[in-house]
Amino acid sequence: MLGALLQLTCGAPALPQTTPVVNPPPCDFNDNFYNANGINVTNLDLQVAGRFGNFRQTGPPASSFNGGTNNWVADSTCSVTDPTRRNFRILATTGGYVDDGTGSPTDFISILAFLTNQNDFTGVANARNIQMVDIVGNFEAYAALKQRLPNGTFARNPCGTMASPDAPTTPCFPVTSVATPSLRQDWRFATNRNAIDGSDGNLVNGTGKGVTIVNNSPFGYFCDDLLGMWVITYFWFTVDPANPNPNPTQQCGSILAALGQKNGFNLDGTPIIKTADELNNQLEANHCGAEGQEDVGGADGGAVWLVCPAIPDPRQGGIAPDAFPDVVFKPDGTPLDPAIINNFRCLQTTGQFCN
Amino acid sequence: MSTPAGFGLPGLECLWIKTAPMTYPKKVSRRHFLRLAATATAVGPFFTFPNRTLAGQKTLKIAKWAHFLPSYDAWFESVLAPAWGKQHDIRVVVDHIPAEQIGGRAMAEVAARKGHDLFMFPWPPAEFQQHAVDHTEIYQSVAANFGSIPLIAYKSTFNLKTKKHFAFADSWVPSPLHYDEDCWSEANMPLGPLHYGSLRSGGQRVRAKLGIPCGLALTSTLEGNITLHTILYAFRGEILDQDGNVAITKNAFTVNALKYVKALNQDAGTPEQLTWGPSGNVRAMLSGKVSCTSNAISLLRAAEKENPALAKKIRLQPPLLGSAGVTAFPHATNCSVVWNFAQNQDGAKQFLADLIDKSKAVYENSKGCNFPVYQKTVPDLIVRLENDPYADPPYKYKELKDALHWTPNLGAPGFASPVWMEVFNTFLIPRMFLSVVKGELSAEDAARAAEAEVKRIAGKWKDA
Repeated sequence: MLGALLQLTCGAPALPQTTPVVNPPPCDFNDNFYNANGINVTNLDLQVAGRFGNFRQTGPPASSFNGGTNNWVADSTCSVTDPTRRNFRILATTGGYVDDGTGSPTDFISILAFLTNQNDFTGVANARNIQMVDIVGNFEAYAALKQRLPNGTFARNPCGTMASPDAPTTPCFPVTSVATPSLRQDWRFATNRNAIDGSDGNLVNGTGKGVTIVNNSPFGYFCDDLLGMWVITYFWFTVDPANPNPNPTQQCGSILAALGQKNGFNLDGTPIIKTADELNNQLEANHCGAEGQEDVGGADGGAVWLVCPAIPDPRQGGIAPDAFPDVVFKPDGTPLDPAIINNFRCLQTTGQFCN
Repeated sequence: MSTPAGFGLPGLECLWIKTAPMTYPKKVSRRHFLRLAATATAVGPFFTFPNRTLAGQKTLKIAKWAHFLPSYDAWFESVLAPAWGKQHDIRVVVDHIPAEQIGGRAMAEVAARKGHDLFMFPWPPAEFQQHAVDHTEIYQSVAANFGSIPLIAYKSTFNLKTKKHFAFADSWVPSPLHYDEDCWSEANMPLGPLHYGSLRSGGQRVRAKLGIPCGLALTSTLEGNITLHTILYAFRGEILDQDGNVAITKNAFTVNALKYVKALNQDAGTPEQLTWGPSGNVRAMLSGKVSCTSNAISLLRAAEKENPALAKKIRLQPPLLGSAGVTAFPHATNCSVVWNFAQNQDGAKQFLADLIDKSKAVYENSKGCNFPVYQKTVPDLIVRLENDPYADPPYKYKELKDALHWTPNLGAPGFASPVWMEVFNTFLIPRMFLSVVKGELSAEDAARAAEAEVKRIAGKWKDA
């Protein structure tokens, strides 16, 4: 697994491990490690940040649908296995699509906390002397908030600062929570960004006329983003699925239909989006969708960043027996995309992805 | 009359003018400079050179774009060039040409097929490739000591059709965001706006609270050109696609970028932005009239020299995050052409190869503006950025550590082609944006008009 390889080659902490554990399940980071990577722990321990180990032990994402009761548990082995962690092990395991172009339902992460404005960063630089606020902009987690309001109206723009000029600003859908009940579909994570082996399409080397081309030294998610942080890129449909072509030149109706046929439909009745190509080149390129990030000063009131490390290799122990899947469910309690939860079950019971 | 991109108000007292080969430049007043420049223009586009040889000594004539920092040009002319000339027994003549005039001067030389031996552009001179020697051998000679050609140089100087390097790139100038920390703290963004959405929303709050607008360059200047090409690219807009096809209206991205800039100017900008000449954004930032801009770090260097209190408040951050990621085109890409009609081609090629040996001095004398194309030449670049002798705090420039990562070549996503570069040098993109910001055209109509112009240019170069 590439992720595991990267973790071993360049992301492993320099601290000694007394007990080698090959693939431990995830735990929260300890305060020292947050401080060392430029995160304001005082702010992290406020309720708005919802740090696992302090808050959200029960309630979403745990639910009767996914069988979870506690999102995290005390576990004294965490800090022994990895000295950068504290003794709270995460059970709520959020599933999503990997941003490598395939849209495979193979990414599993732990949403440890939410950061809502720049005061959550201290300005302390990491081991490479780069501020976390600069690193995190390279790694996007794509959130899909529900656009259908409780009264059934479909809102074509988010409330706050992110509104697209392609749609009216009212009615708008709220952006103050990315908790699972607020989502219309599952997440997409750019864990593949800037892989040092070029697996993200980044040109590492090649040949010119008589010379070899060498690229720069890019960031890598598993190398530089030691807290596993993300900037949240919200994406939404700027057309109502009931009226997808508000002007005659638009082709959104056929685009939405094709995507829905391929991926299925989400809780709003719009298609599930799994890849960058679908979002960028099909929706956004045709005025059918938009994306944006929340105001970094906190004006939108929701999460701008996540502390949310991906499990480098969810196989062979990465998913603990008592973990539960945090995915989007339909009102009837069935998962919106069974492929994610199926992979979770396979990994949990066999240590391998489903065939 | 365009003037060099001088810094510091009025900034022009630092301009240099070439009076004679191998002599130290004189300081001239703005009025004197303009009079001399006007005279030169009236006389003709060509420089007057002394006899090519004196007592058999060869001459190397170099035309180079006038750097943002005049002290760099002074060093280049009075230290670097003479030292090299002495070593090779070649008389070196250096002429500094304002960036805004460099294209016109180059065109005049190729039309006459005479002039300088070496022409240094601040961007990839792809339109001049039929008048250039193949520079591959220079890259190959450099490779022995410094490794293979880096991507930014390769894509800035290589023609995929002819398989030739039409220029040689030795350094480039990153273009980070500069912002006034005090201003942006008022918007609860002491670390800067970070992404385009917050630039608009935070900039709106800064202007509302302090009356200080956001100051991106939007006009047909080098600064406006780089800024607006960057925004277009950050919004996923493309002039040409990877294969060189005209793509500016292929999708909604160009229109989205146009609407964004119009909204940014309305919500957080100033009408003055629409009239700025060269370095207008720099002067506005240095006089505290705007809260942020995108530029080479020569801006901050000028502040450090002239107004340390202001410089302390000006912070850098990597480019803003857009839907295409964190990205900004280089403020300059130092690309040199040895003309195929040059009289001293061997000397010019040798000078370029040897220039790489001096990359560290280039970096130092440009006060960190010019990053080396060959990273091995300044191996302690990161250490320098973390502890800058002029900066307060000294670690301010570390935001540039990964500049190579976020800087694509002009021409991206493809190579710097004649079509792309003619679009660049005719300021088509700033004109497109300005027509929308000023309300002269809708975003859709402006994009369509630009597409027609790009297609016309592409037709002109279809065999290149």
